[in-house]
Amino acid sequence: MDDILLDPFKRLLAHICTPSVIRDEEGRSGLAQCWGELEQSGFIDALLPESRGGAGLSLSEVFPLVVACGEAALPAPFAETMVARALLDKRGAELPTGAAIVLAPPSPVVPLAAKASHALVTANGRLSLIAMNAGASDPFRAGGYADQLKGETLLEVAAGGIDLQAWAAALAAAQMSGMMMRILDMTLRYANERQQFDRPLSKFQAIQHQLAVGAEYAVSAHTAAAIAMSGQHFDPLRAAAAKVCAGEAASKLCAIAHAVHGAIGVTEEYDLQIYTRRLKQWALAFGNERYWADVLGSARLGTEAGTSADFVRLHLGNME
Amino acid sequence: MSLLSAFPRTQIPDEAEKLRPQVKAFLEKSISHMRPQDRAKTWTGFDAEFSRALASHGWVGLTIPEGYGGGGRDAFARFVLVEELLAAGAPIAAHWIADRQSGPLLLRYGTEEQRQFYLPPICRGESFFCIGMSEPNSGSDLASVRTRAIRDGHSWRLTGSKIWTTYAHQSDYMIALVRTSGEPKDRQKGLSQFIIDLSLPGITIRPIRLGTLDSDFSELHFEDVRLPDNALVGTDGEGWTQVNAELAFERSGPERFYSALVLLDMWAERMRAEQCPQDREILGRLIARLASLRAMSIALTGRLAAGESPVIEAALVKDLGTSFEQDIPEIVAASVGAVPDRDADPDMLATLAYLLQLNHVFSLRGGTREILRGMIARGLGLR
Repeated sequence: MDDILLDPFKRLLAHICTPSVIRDEEGRSGLAQCWGELEQSGFIDALLPESRGGAGLSLSEVFPLVVACGEAALPAPFAETMVARALLDKRGAELPTGAAIVLAPPSPVVPLAAKASHALVTANGRLSLIAMNAGASDPFRAGGYADQLKGETLLEVAAGGIDLQAWAAALAAAQMSGMMMRILDMTLRYANERQQFDRPLSKFQAIQHQLAVGAEYAVSAHTAAAIAMSGQHFDPLRAAAAKVCAGEAASKLCAIAHAVHGAIGVTEEYDLQIYTRRLKQWALAFGNERYWADVLGSARLGTEAGTSADFVRLHLGNME
Repeated sequence: MSLLSAFPRTQIPDEAEKLRPQVKAFLEKSISHMRPQDRAKTWTGFDAEFSRALASHGWVGLTIPEGYGGGGRDAFARFVLVEELLAAGAPIAAHWIADRQSGPLLLRYGTEEQRQFYLPPICRGESFFCIGMSEPNSGSDLASVRTRAIRDGHSWRLTGSKIWTTYAHQSDYMIALVRTSGEPKDRQKGLSQFIIDLSLPGITIRPIRLGTLDSDFSELHFEDVRLPDNALVGTDGEGWTQVNAELAFERSGPERFYSALVLLDMWAERMRAEQCPQDREILGRLIARLASLRAMSIALTGRLAAGESPVIEAALVKDLGTSFEQDIPEIVAASVGAVPDRDADPDMLATLAYLLQLNHVFSLRGGTREILRGMIARGLGLR
């Protein structure tokens, strides 16, 4: 199942999202030039029911696509738009054509917002879709939006118990896990190529052990993100576990990747910084590990019966 | 190794989940009287009577086929059982090694005669096993073992020593890795596995007392011990391969992250009475790590059930998992020590003191952190 869906999607990303495209998109606001192709690819409505022209897939089925967006550092809110379209459709709202939508709960920075035309926000128990005004600043220079999101409200629907913060955090965690796989992969390759003391870095035990730890963090974050993208809908506790693991892993893995690469890793011409810069931006967005850890800790303390193993099984154990 | 596909999404099947309420009900009756500091011993808490009570429910040798007295269940059912036993802090050391490793090993490599002889008493909780790996001069460098079995007509003569063997002094049998040909410099070649009846003449066993005054380990000497021909397990010279086949079972299970769960839950209980946002956040971080570890362990349970042997992935789970269970006592100690004017519950303090002394061992037993990271690095293509 994964492969007949994922392989063509990855081929598409490889075609439309090269490092030079990413650099080019960093230099300007507005929809990415590849947006049209992404929108027409059909993947964008993967979560819509078949009766509504979608593919009727579940969160767990589209999870590899979301990870792939992160892995490619796609400069477009594909995953967010896919989720927003399914949500709006379910609420009976008419889907805007050509809209690239970000989820924008309160956050010091909204990744990819400068690459979006619309944002989904919450106010007074309602979800609003706003058309964003142009002009944004992002200290991470990664197409995000660090200003107050403003714009004209196009439509409003009942929030109906939807926790936009959790939705955004879950998608962030999944894309972060993809970025981490890419960063790990680049670092493994570099360690095997770079020679010092007449041998590749990968032959030094100190380097091997750091990379083993890096792989552990990347896998742990990927697994937790899979937990967040399970079930019928996004859930605050599952999103919390995912964002905590992603945030913790991000800081460890960035440190390892840059330590192994040396100074070349932070240079404009080298690709590593494209991914680690975004990873740190996403880690800061939609509640970091401290924020979500407190959510999880409070929930655990609010559950008196059972062990922590029971808590995890009942609240964080659904993988389907 | 492709990391993305190494831990596939896996759900414990409903059939296996049906076991959980039964195990919970049994534990409610049988161990609720135990002190927390004793429950904190989990799979190093030895209680032969408890193991036999568990066996009377069919819960020892759960994955052994029914024809040999086992439960005939799959790896998922065993995950459920073991998760409940560990989370509650049941004293499962007596049958633990036989249940996790020796039984499955005999099933895989043993002769039909060996299976018929050894498996039914294992499943009845009447026959306890230990594993003879480390020696006084062979720790992480396991292939350097010197204990030697020499063929002598229709029997073998065994000479050497084993150390750090968990509960050898309370076990009936040891499955040992020994040299049958060549020299220590031949490394993995020439090693074989034997099943040793620990009541045989020529064997001396000395429990090793720990700083906690418990004796979890022992040291053994074999002086010209005569073993019957059928003491050999599997193939002469294939010991290293056979030992490695066990590793994925030994390193991927919930015992690699639940060893301090009893303390974690006591700490959570204490936290309910107060409002310390910092501790609440730290608790949340532990819960997140546990959720990820558990999902990873279940993913490997699925791969084991499918007949695969994800040895490197298991090393990854063990390294992450033992870090998690080692952190718990350190975190609780930091929390308790930060409020000097609050009385700590004596049971919690005793549990904490016990785990602070032995959490170092969590990443030693079953392959050290350094060995595991070396294996993971090789799996990543770095060596």
